[in-house]
Amino acid sequence: MTLLQIHENRGSARVAAPNEEPSVPTMNLSSDLKEVRATRDLAQALKLTMELIQDSSFPTARAWVAGGGHAAAFFPVYTPQEIAHALGLLPVSLRGGGEDLEITHADAALGSFLCSISKSTLELAITGKLDPFGAFVFPYICDVSRNLEGIFSRLRPNAVTHMLHLPQNFTSASSVPFLVAEYGRLVEKLERLAGQRLSKDALADSLQVYNRRRALLADLAALRRSEPWKLAATELNLLERLGDLVPPEVQMPVLERALREVKERQRPKRDAVRVILVGPFCEQPTHDLLSLIEEAGCYVVGDELSMLHRWMGDVPVSGDPLENLARAYIRSPVDIGVRATPMPKGVSIVARAKEAEAQGVLFLTAKFCEPALEDVVLYRKGLDDHKIPYLHLEFEEKSTSYEQSRLQIETFVESVLFD
Amino acid sequence: MVERYYLQLAEAEKAKRPVAYMLVGGNLTEIVRSFGYEVVFPEIVALNCAIKHKSLDNILQAEAQGYGLDVCGYVKNDLGLQSLGGDTPFGHIPKPDLLVCSFSGCYVYIKWWEALAETLGAPLFNFDVPYQRTEKPLKEDVEYMVAQLWDFIHLLEKQTGRSFDMAELKRVLERSRRAEELWVQYLDAGRNVPSPIEAYFEAVFYMFPINVLRGTEEAVRFYETVNQEVKVRLKEGNYPVPEEKVRLVVEGVPPYTNYRTFWDFFRKWGAVSVAATYPKVGGLFDLGFVHDPARPLESIAEYSLGAYVNQSWPLRRELIKKYVHDFQADAVLIHGIKSCRSFTAGQGDLRDWLIHETGTPTLYLESDHEDPRYFAPAQIKNRMDAFFESLEQRKSTAAAGAAAVSGVRVS
Ligand code: SF4
Ligand code: SF4
Repeated sequence: MTLLQIHENRGSARVAAPNEEPSVPTMNLSSDLKEVRATRDLAQALKLTMELIQDSSFPTARAWVAGGGHAAAFFPVYTPQEIAHALGLLPVSLRGGGEDLEITHADAALGSFLCSISKSTLELAITGKLDPFGAFVFPYICDVSRNLEGIFSRLRPNAVTHMLHLPQNFTSASSVPFLVAEYGRLVEKLERLAGQRLSKDALADSLQVYNRRRALLADLAALRRSEPWKLAATELNLLERLGDLVPPEVQMPVLERALREVKERQRPKRDAVRVILVGPFCEQPTHDLLSLIEEAGCYVVGDELSMLHRWMGDVPVSGDPLENLARAYIRSPVDIGVRATPMPKGVSIVARAKEAEAQGVLFLTAKFCEPALEDVVLYRKGLDDHKIPYLHLEFEEKSTSYEQSRLQIETFVESVLFD
Repeated sequence: MVERYYLQLAEAEKAKRPVAYMLVGGNLTEIVRSFGYEVVFPEIVALNCAIKHKSLDNILQAEAQGYGLDVCGYVKNDLGLQSLGGDTPFGHIPKPDLLVCSFSGCYVYIKWWEALAETLGAPLFNFDVPYQRTEKPLKEDVEYMVAQLWDFIHLLEKQTGRSFDMAELKRVLERSRRAEELWVQYLDAGRNVPSPIEAYFEAVFYMFPINVLRGTEEAVRFYETVNQEVKVRLKEGNYPVPEEKVRLVVEGVPPYTNYRTFWDFFRKWGAVSVAATYPKVGGLFDLGFVHDPARPLESIAEYSLGAYVNQSWPLRRELIKKYVHDFQADAVLIHGIKSCRSFTAGQGDLRDWLIHETGTPTLYLESDHEDPRYFAPAQIKNRMDAFFESLEQRKSTAAAGAAAVSGVRVS
């Protein structure tokens, strides 16, 4: 049976045969996602976010589509989701299948020695979990993400698919015009899904909304950096990931409330080691692994978990908004494994550690993620030269036992504290 | 010719000739050579190391430096070799004065060249080549690349103190064009039944001038000689195997560490590759592209877009289907590379597509191009034997069926 047939036969998670158990849907939300707005405090919002993440049937996208809208899925790390937003689409960030998803078909189609997120994303598509989406955008962050688009174009022939070539030359005067043209191709495809043309005003409005969201998340990250005992890494991560699944307008009131609540928190300061997490820019470590890092004696004062929200500061809204968005991408100082960087890696990592006043670096890389693995070697050399301690851990989506990791982190913490 | 090339490289440092490192996909060899640079292709050095059974030492050295098991074998061979001093059985590889990253078809290129820049301190130029998603190059993509080429030319002028000579570049491109047409003539010989060429194992050796020496008279003469030889083979009935039984299209990078062994597994069954994708990593000249001296920079840009792995999966799929049809192939053999995601991620889906949507028998095998630890000869041989046996049966059943229809008895 071909993958296409498997997809068609197993079909959408929404249409289960009479005696067949529905494959997943556990949550049904209203189309305006008022359930998110109705959360009363941070704890409730985080609990709901966790449930949304764990439900691999994409409840927010299903609800949006049931309400007559269209949803577009974006692979990590950076994509210009403002464009989809301005077209009235629901942009959703794909973040893999999580620890509960069984990989049955994707291995054979994709290959063995590949990261979990690529396989689980394909598995979600084959098994119909991505059926609510009418568009799939894969940025050229690595060869795996790039090739995934080609497989999706076969698996979902009626959906919009786009492999977004983000420039790797940041000094040429022609990079911005090229990116504007590349975004233009994406715009055309998304317009087909949305059934309307993109207007400059709508895009300018969306830029404003996304600017505001980035600013709120930046405030939370700054608070976490200065008073890490008030906001756990897992909490900030969940707040960011809520934005992967709901529109910024739904997420922002939660962020504003969280900011107020966290500032007021009275939590004792622990004797923990300040670390930055480097490497998990695409595939996500499990919630348990993230909690473990703090339980084992670290404060996470910087991370690469949701770089989409940190790619740029304010994007100017006057003038040509598409060009502004393209220029902001090119000018971004973000230095991660999935884009060419002018600054030597060794210099960059030391600067980042110092800026965050980190005492050490925790490399958390997805198994088989070549961009991350290659960077780590250069990063380590820079840290060695400056005697900054580090620890490297590899993770997979389906990691279950963390005893070994706990031991390694505890040993690392002790060595930093008592050195 | 290969020996002469490495000899010249080995002397570059002493002779104080500048050295540029480049990647095969989308390379800018014509421009760089017109400024007097010697050009090192670390991918080709790596595959030569693997053929000479020297890659594992370099790989282990890179692993000792922290490069993990899953990093591309070419990268590890190169970085390991650099840190071991650069001596190979075929000569000393000089250090670079310039690193030219033609980002065409493989993301690892970016990472690899960053590592070289950081460890060796040479200046790095990133030539960003958009991924090819349409059959014809897009105007904006070409404009973007031409603008970058001008930046590159200005950088070369600054580095060498020489002025750019457009007339010289056009002369070089004219020689490239001639070599490219002759190369395509060689590849086209695979259409003959039986085929006088081995379009994978043999073509891999013959692709050296088209990638490394493009723009030289030497490359032109080489392909003239090769095509002469093919004519003689056809005339004398001298074929890669005594009796051609299976015609194959091969997709994927070869396992260089066990090149002969792998080839023997084909020969045993009278299997001949009549077309292959890997010899097109430097460019899809057989699809009609040749450098055009009348549009020098535009055609260099279009060339860079055309590296095989810079083609989207839909384009790759259609190309393979076309090869099967045009070269009257019986089957496709895919060789996946454990540490090369660019080629390999999605080859399983390609297999699925070929079998179910085009009805082409297809075998998928996996090992590594550089790391001998991942080549399992017994397992690979068993799978190939079973595949070829079933193909043979299929062919004899088809022949018997045809004979029954025409009333001829086959024994
Ligand atoms: S985890 Fe790494 S290898 Fe996998 S898709 Fe993301 S960036 Fe690419
Ligand atoms: S194409 Fe494959 S073999 Fe070549 S450098 Fe890239 S990853 Fe390595």
